[in-house]
Amino acid sequence: MLNYFTFRFLSIIPMLFLVTVIIFVGLQLTPGDPLTYLIPPELLASANFDLEGYKKAMGLDAPVYIQFFRWLTDLLQGKLGYSLVDGSSIAKMISNRLPATLELAAAALIVSSILGILLGLISSIRQNSAADYGNTVIGIIGISIPEFFIGIIAIQIFAIKLGWLPVGGRFEYADSGFIDRLSHLIMPSLVLGFSLTAALMRYTRGTMLDVLGKDYVKTARSKGLPEWKVNVKHAFRNALMPVVLLLCFRLPLLIGGTVIIESVFGWPGMGGMILNAVSAKDYPVVMITTMMTACMVLLASFLVDLLTALLDPRVRFE
Amino acid sequence: MGKTAAKSSLALRNWEKLCRNKLAMVGFAIISVMILCAILAPVLSSNKPDEIDLSNRLMPPSGEHLLGTDKLGRDVFARILYGARVSILIGLSGALGGALIGTVIGCFSGYLGGWFDKITLRISEIFMTFPQLILVLILVVYIGQGLFNLILIFAVTGWTGTYRLVRGRFLSLREENYVDACRAFGIGELSIMFRHILPNTLSPVIVTVTLATAGYILAESGLSFLGLGVPSGIPTWGNIINAAKAVDVIRNNPWLWLPPGLAISLFVMGVNFLGDGLRDVLDPNQ
Repeated sequence: MLNYFTFRFLSIIPMLFLVTVIIFVGLQLTPGDPLTYLIPPELLASANFDLEGYKKAMGLDAPVYIQFFRWLTDLLQGKLGYSLVDGSSIAKMISNRLPATLELAAAALIVSSILGILLGLISSIRQNSAADYGNTVIGIIGISIPEFFIGIIAIQIFAIKLGWLPVGGRFEYADSGFIDRLSHLIMPSLVLGFSLTAALMRYTRGTMLDVLGKDYVKTARSKGLPEWKVNVKHAFRNALMPVVLLLCFRLPLLIGGTVIIESVFGWPGMGGMILNAVSAKDYPVVMITTMMTACMVLLASFLVDLLTALLDPRVRFE
Repeated sequence: MGKTAAKSSLALRNWEKLCRNKLAMVGFAIISVMILCAILAPVLSSNKPDEIDLSNRLMPPSGEHLLGTDKLGRDVFARILYGARVSILIGLSGALGGALIGTVIGCFSGYLGGWFDKITLRISEIFMTFPQLILVLILVVYIGQGLFNLILIFAVTGWTGTYRLVRGRFLSLREENYVDACRAFGIGELSIMFRHILPNTLSPVIVTVTLATAGYILAESGLSFLGLGVPSGIPTWGNIINAAKAVDVIRNNPWLWLPPGLAISLFVMGVNFLGDGLRDVLDPNQ
């Protein structure tokens, strides 16, 4: 089993490498002098700063492939460069913002998985044609409404009209309690996961219906097992596999969706960082944040793969 | 004579099957009505969508301005009607552009195989690793905003779906007997690819284009909402809602965000209903 996991983990590395190559190429294509963003801004602004001399000393005039490897090793050591806009260290910006986005994405993933799968399970067990029809319609409506629109409606209803939940942000003040943080997290994560919930609901229902028609389910029933055991222990575990696969495919959407949701709810995460950088044409920040996002997606799909291997006893480890 | 009769009866049967799908017909009706309204925009509204009137800013709906005015005093109803043109155009063109690129590359990739296939497969995997919105944002930084730029960006970032589809079909279809027969007749490779195999792969591509249009309309509205899509001189559904980034707009000026949001949701829903129906008819394997 360990071999399988190590193998899967190692297979991400070529992809990660390719991603860094692309990011590096992107950085080279920026208008103006590429890679000057690596110079600390205090140095750049100082009066007798000799740009050419500095470059020679730091080896920034070396051939491109040497520059690439130097850049890569710097990257792995955490030296991510400085923003073109306000000169703050990109690594620091990311470390401020990344936890917020991870929190949001994880909450959305967990909540919509549980909700979607549960609802799909329920509607597949209590199957009748009215629910069948309604389910398709609801599923399609769920993926048709723009996420920011759902967010705005949610703010209007729950925050403004009813006053139950705060309008935006992550917390009222830095060390506020768990309840406060939770109340700020609920709406954004639910809205972020909304279309995922709708898709999961529909898909779970479909796969459950497939599985419930299989022979081994009839066998289990004829053995006299209680109905809930048939549904949960036998049918559900096998229906889960394709559902987890769907989750894997939808993960990039989830991480991309944080950009919009963070804007609507004023959530201080990576999405906001990318948006500000794009508006201000802050190329280094855009490229490095993109790289972080790609890494997040790769890692996340690796984790989902792990989960699949754990859940499905049919997977044999090569 | 018999062959053409058989072909048209298959098309006819598909069409009838589609017509029987109530949901798809509802979707088709919704889309048609909205496209008609978009085309008839000058007829339906006497106001111009870019007529700035700073003395009438943020007015609620009234007789003269059916859906009120926005921050610059422009008539919201007119903006929604003219915006429909732009939003639908971007969605459709982006989808068609992406499908075109994906189909052509998929054709060569699936048919020829070899190193070309391996390389393009890797490239498509890389494109799929990045969330599409992020890719779009990168290209917006480098290429800049604008109507045509956006269509180009959508086409360039969204080709992977069609690519995989067409490639898969070509991989299986190139083993068919009629391909060998064509070769025996001396028909050139390019001709075999585009005139003989390609028509058989088009059904799922049509479904993908329909569903992708929905996706791109949503994407454009999201980008314009963020302020990174079409600049506000040209109205789109998304950039009307752009004003609602501020909470007081959400609270006080619902006419700015509710109608365009409903318009987007309704149109995309219609496209999805139709696309779902098309998928049932044209691609029953899914």
